[in-house]
Amino acid sequence: MTPHPITVTEALAGTAAVALLLTQLALFRSVVLREMISLYATQSALVGAICLTVGIAGRSWDLVVLAVLTVAFKVVLLPAYMRGLARHVSDRIELPVRVNVTLSILMAAALMALAMLTAARLPLPSGAFLPRADLATTLAIVFVGFLLAILRPNALAQVIAFLTLENGLFFGTVTLAPGLPFVVGVLLLIDVLAAVVVFAVLVRVMVMRRSSASVVTLSELRG
Amino acid sequence: MNLVSWLVIVVPAVAAAIAYFAPSRIGRPATAVGGVSTATLIAIDAFSGLQPAPDALSSLFLLPVAIVYGAAGLYSAWYVAAESEDDAVGERYRRDFLGLTNAFACAEVIVPLLSDMAGVWVALEVTTILAALLVRLQGTDGALEAAWKYILIASCGLAIGLVGVIVLYAAGTPVLGAHYVPEWSAYRVVATRLDPDAVRLAFMLALVGFGTKMGLAPMHTWLPDAHGAGPTPTSAMLSGVLLSDALYVILRFAGIANAAIGSTMTHRLFAIVGILSLALGAFFLLRQRDVKRMLAYSSIEHMGVVALGLAFGAPLAIAGALLHTINHAASKSLAFFAAGRVAERFSTREIAEIRGSARALPISGTLFALAGLSLAGLPPFGIFRSELMILAGGFGGGSGWLAAAATVLLVVAFAGLMRWVSATTVGEPPASVERGERGTVAVVAMLLGLVVVVGVGVFVPVPLTGLLGRAAALFEGPL
Repeated sequence: MTPHPITVTEALAGTAAVALLLTQLALFRSVVLREMISLYATQSALVGAICLTVGIAGRSWDLVVLAVLTVAFKVVLLPAYMRGLARHVSDRIELPVRVNVTLSILMAAALMALAMLTAARLPLPSGAFLPRADLATTLAIVFVGFLLAILRPNALAQVIAFLTLENGLFFGTVTLAPGLPFVVGVLLLIDVLAAVVVFAVLVRVMVMRRSSASVVTLSELRG
Repeated sequence: MNLVSWLVIVVPAVAAAIAYFAPSRIGRPATAVGGVSTATLIAIDAFSGLQPAPDALSSLFLLPVAIVYGAAGLYSAWYVAAESEDDAVGERYRRDFLGLTNAFACAEVIVPLLSDMAGVWVALEVTTILAALLVRLQGTDGALEAAWKYILIASCGLAIGLVGVIVLYAAGTPVLGAHYVPEWSAYRVVATRLDPDAVRLAFMLALVGFGTKMGLAPMHTWLPDAHGAGPTPTSAMLSGVLLSDALYVILRFAGIANAAIGSTMTHRLFAIVGILSLALGAFFLLRQRDVKRMLAYSSIEHMGVVALGLAFGAPLAIAGALLHTINHAASKSLAFFAAGRVAERFSTREIAEIRGSARALPISGTLFALAGLSLAGLPPFGIFRSELMILAGGFGGGSGWLAAAATVLLVVAFAGLMRWVSATTVGEPPASVERGERGTVAVVAMLLGLVVVVGVGVFVPVPLTGLLGRAAALFEGPL
């Protein structure tokens, strides 16, 4: 493929992708549920913006509709629901962490670097259809989402980790596979919402039975 | 999809709605009728030549749903009644359980019926959500822990699988256009024109992601907890159907990868996860104390056997692996159903506390032992036949060392299962344990399972042989 000057759309999408990675890192700095939920809402807004940009640039109006739905659900409704849930779990109390904040950010940064290297080292021929930066960002968000779930032994924090991971997948779907049928995008969105409702049911039961959303005590089943 | 396909989806959906909204005295027969009707429709689909499912692989993977949901529908009717007798649960529980069981079956049946991979991913995620709710239903601390681990690990696994879906979609864009429906058949047709590295990456992601859902080691950690903590019919459906649904998706990716880049990589990766799962399952079988967790580890072991069959690559081994999926579904659901009855009668799941189950429950106890013998791979049961096909394919196809290692590990698993069968079946039950069989419907459900378990061992019907051959060709065969 002949190198071409970067377009405004590409620059916007690229900047939003970097911001996406920064919010993912910022989640490791935050040890209060309310902050984590706000960061998730910010990250979702960025994903919505990327979806809108790609949709307008490619004149794919279904992506524009998907962007609006994403903002409505992931920036407004889900965070509001999560905040309500967090009130049951004392959202101002500091969350337990398995390793300290600095070390966890370093680990996340290392995973991001690994994702970049993995995507870059894929021996794809020049001019490949798979834009490496998009794949690298998708992998980075997914890897770091896993790390967040592992390092935060709190049920709600793990739900937020899952949701950020899903944001990475949504980003990947929009940038790597923008032609995926609209109905699939909507189904993915609904699916995530349903999963969050089930997560919420389990968190409520957990808090009711144990007066805590800590998952450290979930260690009865072994062997 | 033709009328039969739609009915296969609509019947469990209607049963789910009736069971959830109507009183359980209506929901119980609705569930039984839903299970048996769906099983009948799937059998018509598979063997009549109508071919309403997308292709032979889809038809084949509908069979585990038919076997397990057919029996589970009947068994659940008894199960709910038995729970009611103990007054341990209320009407809300009964309706939730029956409604979710039918909805779970509906989602499971959709997976092999859909022809596009994105839709299949959505259906698999729905099964995860419903299964987590079912596992949680018993309300114990263990059930809560199992449900939490399950939904978190399985959802993360499916997230990796979705990255695989996205990468494969992107790989198809230059050939199939920017906007296309990602149908399995379309990828097979253009496989040789797909970028090999993208296909490689997509398969690896699919194996790890959907392999988590299939219970392959080392991504298996949710499986013993979820199978152990869920209600008995749920355990049977998780083990017999959900694992095979995940396998079905992996096979689709593998079929595309084999056609695009050859089978060397898929065989190697199947060999790694297969031997690891078989070893882990076999050794954990030796040290289990809880009967349902033991059956869960047996599932991991058998998924390992299936993966090894695919790794050997010989036509006989692949046909054996596909047949093994059906045999495992039948044997494992029978084992879970019988184990549930025995555990209920002895009021414990601890193997050490169960003695003389064949005397306490003449039919269920005996079926419990027979299911154990089947899972251990003894003749005349179907698992013996399919394991023999897999090993023969391995030894004959140039994978002698791997087949030898698999044989040794199968002997270890055999020892673990035999120890359990002999410990729980023979001897006199404690005096406090009531003797005699109750629950005709549950007995009928288990006997139907036994017919399949023994039937396939003694004789593989010609239509099933044809289906196996056509399905295997879609996985490994030429375009």
